[in-house]
Amino acid sequence: MEDGWRYFVHGWTCVIEELFKVEVTPAIVGKLSEVSPGPRGSSTLPRVWDRGVLGRPFSSLPARAQRRYCLLHETSGSAPFASPAVSATSALLQTDPGHPLASDSGAPSPSPAQQSTPSMTHEVAFDLRGVSKRYPGVLALDSVSLTGYAGEVLALCGANGAGKSTLGRLLAGQEQPTAGTITVTGYDKHIRTPADADNAGILFMHQEPVIIDDFTVAENVCLKNLSSARSVKPWHFVSRKQSASTLSALSSVGLKHLPPGALGRGLGPAARQMLALSRVQVTPHQLLILDESTASATEEYFSDVCALVEHEKAAGVSVLFISHRLPEVFKIATRIAVLRDGRLITVVDTADTSPSEITTLMIGATVDAIDPPETVDEQLAPILEVIELSSGSASCVSFAVRPGEVVGLYGLIGSGRSSIVRAISGNQTRRSGTVKVNGRVVPAKNPHQAMRHGLIYVTENRHREGLFKDFTNSQNLTFAALKKFATLGVIRRKQERDRVKELMLAFQVKGEARTLTNALSGGNQQKVCIAKWLETRPDVVLLDEPTKGIDIGARQHIYQLIRDIASEGKGVVVVTSEADEALMICNRVLVLVGGHIVREFEPNSITSDLLIRTSLEGAEAWT
Amino acid sequence: MDLNEPRGSAAPGRGSDPPVKPAPGPAAGLNAGLTWQASGAWATEHYSVFILLLLVIVGAILSPAFLGIRNLQNIGLQTSIFGLVTLAEFLVVLTHGIDISVGSVVGLSGVLGAGLFGGSNVFVAVLIGVGVGALVGVINGYLIAYRALEPFIVTLGMLSLARGLVYVYTQGMPMQPSANDFSTVANLYVIGIPVEFLIWVAFIFIVSFVLRHTVFGRRVYAVGSSADAARAAGVPVRNTLFLVYLIAGMLSGLAGFLLAAQVEVGTPTAGNLYELTAIAGVVIGGTRLAGGKGSVFNTVVGTLIFGGITDLLVLLNINTFETEAFTGGLILGVLFLMSLHMPKWFPGRSSRAHRSPV
Repeated sequence: MEDGWRYFVHGWTCVIEELFKVEVTPAIVGKLSEVSPGPRGSSTLPRVWDRGVLGRPFSSLPARAQRRYCLLHETSGSAPFASPAVSATSALLQTDPGHPLASDSGAPSPSPAQQSTPSMTHEVAFDLRGVSKRYPGVLALDSVSLTGYAGEVLALCGANGAGKSTLGRLLAGQEQPTAGTITVTGYDKHIRTPADADNAGILFMHQEPVIIDDFTVAENVCLKNLSSARSVKPWHFVSRKQSASTLSALSSVGLKHLPPGALGRGLGPAARQMLALSRVQVTPHQLLILDESTASATEEYFSDVCALVEHEKAAGVSVLFISHRLPEVFKIATRIAVLRDGRLITVVDTADTSPSEITTLMIGATVDAIDPPETVDEQLAPILEVIELSSGSASCVSFAVRPGEVVGLYGLIGSGRSSIVRAISGNQTRRSGTVKVNGRVVPAKNPHQAMRHGLIYVTENRHREGLFKDFTNSQNLTFAALKKFATLGVIRRKQERDRVKELMLAFQVKGEARTLTNALSGGNQQKVCIAKWLETRPDVVLLDEPTKGIDIGARQHIYQLIRDIASEGKGVVVVTSEADEALMICNRVLVLVGGHIVREFEPNSITSDLLIRTSLEGAEAWT
Repeated sequence: MDLNEPRGSAAPGRGSDPPVKPAPGPAAGLNAGLTWQASGAWATEHYSVFILLLLVIVGAILSPAFLGIRNLQNIGLQTSIFGLVTLAEFLVVLTHGIDISVGSVVGLSGVLGAGLFGGSNVFVAVLIGVGVGALVGVINGYLIAYRALEPFIVTLGMLSLARGLVYVYTQGMPMQPSANDFSTVANLYVIGIPVEFLIWVAFIFIVSFVLRHTVFGRRVYAVGSSADAARAAGVPVRNTLFLVYLIAGMLSGLAGFLLAAQVEVGTPTAGNLYELTAIAGVVIGGTRLAGGKGSVFNTVVGTLIFGGITDLLVLLNINTFETEAFTGGLILGVLFLMSLHMPKWFPGRSSRAHRSPV
């Protein structure tokens, strides 16, 4: 049975490799077999919806459905169908950059004289004035003013959470700024919806390539041109499959070998990314936003991306290149804008700077080092023992934590870090394994059981699992340990109030007891979250990404908090994806690769570089 | 008004970190409109009170008898039955569920209370009524909480099942209880106030107390707000859900007995479309259908609005068919109004303020 399956997969792997000249990745095999539906949210496409559409030509769907489909997949609402004439124009663009219709209808087109040196034209393509974006609890962008010019590539650099993607989404009309104005040359109205962005000639390339599995390659290329039902006729598709513009679009991104009639389903991640990029050729636009669009494009495709961007530049298109990979940025960009914590730090010409300088700007002031953790008595009996635990992507993991010790679980996303802590705390089912707290076996049933055994799990997903959006700070803080404040199920309100006051002071939560926790900043929300579970007086504390989405200042508080918890003699396990964080707060760091613990480090014996390398290279060794 | 102490959600962002600068543009507008904002927030929370006031005024103008003692007693009798059912519905809706079988339960417990054992003893009838409700609640709760089925479908099935059983048991004929004192409860008045009304008031206070002051109540809100977070915080989510459906069933069962006592007979059609009125009362009371948000007070106001309107239509000699159509229309109208998102109408909370000046 097992063997037969393997042969089957192998056979198909060969066929696909032959047919599509693509490397078959585990992702494709997974698609082929559909053995496991995968973790929730692993697919970028909403599955239910896809099922409904399966086998039906896009044009046969009602207009509303088409529009929703586009909104779901690319969030580009209904746009007027690009008439063949316009498409032809954009096809022309590739061969003749100096074509007078190079820019979209409303925009004044650059004269041939300026075209030779497009970077010198300084014709404004888009202009952001004091743009701010506030999400509940987080200020993602803080009055950013940025101008992009036609015919240049402006790179947007920044660390995770710096606000790069937010800026891209604002410009593409997918979200509205909280304050400030965005103007795009040639479009005198405000961009409020993705449809407006389409009208303004903004082409947004999403981080995750939007490829519809059940559409052919050709259909996927022209996806953007299908947004309006009125103008789409079924025969358009047929003609487009072999049309010159589709073929040239494919060959321009190095996908010449793909048969236009093949389904999007069988493509590898790199090919998908490039296929999405090929839309640049058939969709009229004057501003191109590439949001980490090279993330899964391999080396061989990167030259095509470069060529593509060069083309765009020559055609007078303004390109916004969002990335944190500096080598690519320096190869492509003419100017670099650096964002940090939602603020625009600087904009420099690529020629005048170096990668190391940009790195420094991106990171900014690093978190002040806190004192190294106290050493733990090796003789102490472990407070938490995990024996051969298998769950989710983690398999056969064993480790122990002593009282007062902070153990870090470090690894790439998908290496099983979260699976381990979730399984320990009963938030996820275990396949096998035993968990002991103070020598007593903790049953795997549910979080409630784990809490009764003195084991708490502070979730990485605050909004979904950590806090109640309708609860005040006070209600959230006491919720996990509510029984402590109750006699016969009736809450002693005064005691609850007093305790909340103490807690808010002790954890330095900046807020009032009676305001909604949702209104706090990310850091304060996290403090409430940790305090809530600590109130149950646990022996072992499991923290999953405790500093996710928290600004640097508040991180310091969280680190100190973790240290304090440990010094009370509790065992602490911290899951983290930041090497520096792991090295700073942990007594020991366990590196996870492919669901196994591959190495164990003492923080002072290793640099963060080496830690990252272990997690990466171990990955190849183990998979 | 003390501007430094806004209530609840009236001031989002109040607790945020100091270094976070307020957005420059709209901030000025916000400060200017803070009093407006606070009152707007209050009005949004309690707008149903205004609807009730409006109803009382309109009623008093249209019909002089509307505010008479006799009529108020009538309204009290009417709404106490509706009220118990609406309370049951409210609890279920708080957990992001819905129970459309309440009306059928009212009918079933009414006819069984009046008919079983010949309806010879009132106390047995009460027990039967509540017991039938509890049984239905147990079945609903088991299927919804432990078998994770959709509340809507489960209670839809139960709606049909219970009503069917009513007709099977009664053969379509009203059940005449043999006990002489069967309707005593309905005819008792304490200083002019019907006892049934007082029973409702008692349950209002009990439910309110449970929701505000007990661990169970906090859990009900928590499960409705986010079942995931509740589970992670160690709440026995399924037990909580089960209990809520059980309580809802028992409240409906009690209402069924009281209704039978009021009309002195177990009518097979009793409680027809009560689920509609109950859901409408809950919705008009501003309870979020997605769960986790709502107050008993507003639900009571919602019930009174419906009781008052029904009574007013009777006073105005409008026939029952038209009343039914009117009720349905009113629900749709209110839902439409709610979809307009009330806060928009008050300066300071308006989303327009956040838009950049063109």
